[in-house]
Amino acid sequence: MAAVELRDVKKSFGSVKVIDRIDLVIEKGEFVAFVGPSGSGKSTLLRMIAGLETVTAGDILIDGQDVTFAEPSDRGIAMVFQSYALYPHMNVYDNIAFNLRLSRFGKPEIDARVKEAARILRLDELLARSPAQLSGGQRQRVAIGRAIVRNPKVFLFDEPLSNLDAALRVQMRLEIERLHRELGTTMIYVTHDQVEAMTLADRIVALDEGKIQQVGRPLELYARPGNQFVAGFIGSPKMNFLPGSVVSTSGASAVLSLDADRNAMFERVLDGARPGAAVTIGARPETLSVFTSAEEVSAGMLTLPARIETMERLGNITFAYLDIGAPEMITVQIMGFSELSDQQDVVLGLRPDQLHVFNASGAAMTGVANA
Amino acid sequence: MSSRAAWPRISIGRFFVFAFLAFAVCFYGIPLLWLFIAGTRSEGSLFSDPPFTIGTWDVFVRTWTNLTTYNNFQIGTWAINSLIYSVGGVALSLIASIPAGYVLALSEFPGRKLILVVTLIAMITPSTAVVLPIFLEMNLLGLNNTYAGLVLATGFFPFGVYLAYIYFSSALPKGVMDSARVDGCNRFQLFTRIALPLARPIVALVAFFSFLANWSNYFLAFVLLSDDKLYNLPVGLTALVSGSGALSNLPANDVPIKKPEVILAAVLVVLPVFLVFIVAQRFVRSGMLSGAEKG
Repeated sequence: MAAVELRDVKKSFGSVKVIDRIDLVIEKGEFVAFVGPSGSGKSTLLRMIAGLETVTAGDILIDGQDVTFAEPSDRGIAMVFQSYALYPHMNVYDNIAFNLRLSRFGKPEIDARVKEAARILRLDELLARSPAQLSGGQRQRVAIGRAIVRNPKVFLFDEPLSNLDAALRVQMRLEIERLHRELGTTMIYVTHDQVEAMTLADRIVALDEGKIQQVGRPLELYARPGNQFVAGFIGSPKMNFLPGSVVSTSGASAVLSLDADRNAMFERVLDGARPGAAVTIGARPETLSVFTSAEEVSAGMLTLPARIETMERLGNITFAYLDIGAPEMITVQIMGFSELSDQQDVVLGLRPDQLHVFNASGAAMTGVANA
Repeated sequence: MSSRAAWPRISIGRFFVFAFLAFAVCFYGIPLLWLFIAGTRSEGSLFSDPPFTIGTWDVFVRTWTNLTTYNNFQIGTWAINSLIYSVGGVALSLIASIPAGYVLALSEFPGRKLILVVTLIAMITPSTAVVLPIFLEMNLLGLNNTYAGLVLATGFFPFGVYLAYIYFSSALPKGVMDSARVDGCNRFQLFTRIALPLARPIVALVAFFSFLANWSNYFLAFVLLSDDKLYNLPVGLTALVSGSGALSNLPANDVPIKKPEVILAAVLVVLPVFLVFIVAQRFVRSGMLSGAEKG
């Protein structure tokens, strides 16, 4: 039985559709991340599962039970909020015990559960403190503690780490990973940070404009994005997009050219290619190479003349931003240090077999990951 | 040179600011200071000595005795009445206005905007304008000349509703309320266990303003109460003045209430407000600020 099931779920505010026909099955014990830009509906969808937002149409099932109209507390869920949402007038112990007291658990049972949660989250020393006396990371741990004492069927995380600084975010990410391993409970995690989604999730649900764009394992989404949105959203730095067109087709394979240089042609197996159709070619920064002259280019590579606009040197990685005459800069990721300099004329090398091709409506024409 | 260096240099603009503030302190503070000092002086001294002459302990004790023994410690009865009316009014206005402000701030229901507008209108309507209709209403209910009548009337405190509404709609963290819902609070528990404990500053603020309004309530009390055993202090003070002729230059009479006694009675009216303010100001100040700061 699925832990969470969404059937044709919709949500509108007046005439504005925030969530549009979502079908999704989340298995028991799975860690699923909802990703998407601001306004994609990912938090709204999570709040609908939690029961904090009403559902305009469709059904929500948790553990096989229809909870579409159930109160949040009757759904067997626990939620961790971005703002931590601790009760400022209660100390850490009372914050964690609050739900258990409302559920009329006996004192010894409450005490045992709070102590156990405190042990798991290393909060033992902080139980008597008030939330105002805690650091951001400690507050988030209390918020998680408040969730785990309930033994919920599903954990819901609403951007839990976005208020923390970078170092603490990494640490808390590992804690959440450990928690999932130890508890084995189903977790739904909303984030706009794709690093969190990629590292934590068993499956990622990419959302945009209230619709599911793609569902799949993190690396599947990375390697075989279903459309231009997912291709651009998953991966950092983001995928480069270059305009191109279909020159000719023969059977399943097609010959494509880049608009930046009509002589740069390559052949790929594509779905639904028509000669003359405009396409968008996608290239991940790490698949691109920069050469100082055309003679250095490896065999089989497409080349484009380019000029380096600027370089970002991070020590272990260098990013080169190249101008190829297109409106957008091309980002190239170079491992280690690079001798290249700003304003240098170079040759950009692309590997045809690693390019993604999207049709005019943004759908991938190369192989797509499906889950 | 050295004498000039000892003084901090201030600009002309700041000088005028300070001068204005000093004037304001004197202008508004001197009458109060005079009131507290004058209670210690004899009637003769009030006329012949300089305004800020401090009287003697004996005079003060005699004045106090005259005031408190008059009509069987009537001023004490009035003070207790004032306390009953004020505490009753504060309690009733808190019971009504805090939950009302909460619901107006957090719930969507038909007529909500209308209620807010009506609250605002009621707030800016001078209370004296509704004294007559209240009198007629209380008359109909047979509550004129009763404790319950005046308490019921003063429990109507739209300003408190509005203050609570502003507080709950701006200062109550939405995430905390959501979290409490997930934790299993029903609507009533959301209010009693989360919103109300967080609203302590606004409860103090509403209580303070309500107390202030009720303690110095004159006109409504004057209209509703005709039995002098039920008077509050402001009405009692007027009765004291007019009954004794203390402030008019009538020929001498036997009533021991003269100007010093009336002044002391006035101090009795003012003093509790001072005390309440000193106790409440910490809460009141945090209540005024809490809407402005986050977390």
